[in-house]
Amino acid sequence: MARYQAGDFTAARRLIDRISPQLHRFLDAHSATRADTDDTLQETWLRIHRVRHTYRPGEPLLPWIYAIARRVRVDHYRKAMRATARELPLEDLPDATTAAPATFGQAEDLEQLLAPLSASQREVLEMLKVAGMSLEEVARATSCSVGSVKQKVHRAYETLRRTMSVRELKNDHSGVLP
Amino acid sequence: MTDQEVDDVLQKAADSPREVSAQLLERIADSIGPSLRPVRPLPPNWVLSGALSLMGGAVALIGAARAGFQGFEALGFLSRVLILGALAVFIWAAARRAANEWTPGSPRRLSTGGLVAAFTVALAALFGLLFQDYRTENFVLAGLTCLVTGVLHAVPAALLAWWVLRRGCVLDSTSAGLAAGALAGLAGLAVLELHCANFEALHVLVWHTLVVPVSAGFGALIGWGLRHKAS
Repeated sequence: MARYQAGDFTAARRLIDRISPQLHRFLDAHSATRADTDDTLQETWLRIHRVRHTYRPGEPLLPWIYAIARRVRVDHYRKAMRATARELPLEDLPDATTAAPATFGQAEDLEQLLAPLSASQREVLEMLKVAGMSLEEVARATSCSVGSVKQKVHRAYETLRRTMSVRELKNDHSGVLP
Repeated sequence: MTDQEVDDVLQKAADSPREVSAQLLERIADSIGPSLRPVRPLPPNWVLSGALSLMGGAVALIGAARAGFQGFEALGFLSRVLILGALAVFIWAAARRAANEWTPGSPRRLSTGGLVAAFTVALAALFGLLFQDYRTENFVLAGLTCLVTGVLHAVPAALLAWWVLRRGCVLDSTSAGLAAGALAGLAGLAVLELHCANFEALHVLVWHTLVVPVSAGFGALIGWGLRHKAS
């Protein structure tokens, strides 16, 4: 990042290549389509580029990037909501409740796993699990205290434990072996 | 199901790779390439906080020098130390918060609203402890005069704060406005403490203390308005 701030294009390119996949996944949660997520990702990088001087070398980088990405995501979402009072036909909406349950232990789609959680809980878990950030870093990125992050994680795990147990039970009843 | 098992499932799902198209990455790199030139990073937080605190102190001193130091002269030694000491600490805390609001990914232990509430309660408690004259003369008119004086002195402080922080990046403009407004309000309150010699407990407790939340509220309102206009 320091080299990017110094104007090194190769460093900027490497940073984009390295961070974009996890940012894309993070931004995907509030996007209607893949193209929408692509647009938000590009917008995020443009914003990062515009304010790159606000990163202080030596400080953790990911909270800085995710704090900006969060803001872009909210802006993009609001803009989209205002610009198009679009109504998707009901049959086009993904139905989380009837989606085929993946077998426990198998690598599942993260978005599907986190679907029962609130937006803030999902966001915190994505940062912890996908970006591999620490509690302190997540607190910085979400502008809240470490205690508040811990509480969100605790509640998220409670919900996930409940949902996964129900799913396991259903799988057992339908004869799917774990 | 245990937390460990939930954790394993989540980790497995998180580890599955997410593909981003090479064209998109190319497009992003191309869009930033032409404007890529060296930039100077923001100074450390303590430098910005220090500059903001000095600015707050300067506004208070200049304001009081114009209006007169009657309040400071009439205060006892202990009251001077406690009030000005508390104001100095609060101005420093508000300056740190304002600097954080202008820097993405900064740490915070308390929300900005919580911080403003803490300032207000602590100041009210301090004034309640130090001023024991419970007579009220000309309560509303004298009070409004002080409130307006305090808030008017907060305006140059807020403008200077914005100038100090102009290179930063605001992500939540309402919260940033609240922090800058609180800092400016504390500078305005410092002017009142140096100038106003009306030591009626209710006057100081209500009207002087109000300068901080009122200025912070104005700041938040301006921040919210700017955000609304921009989007």
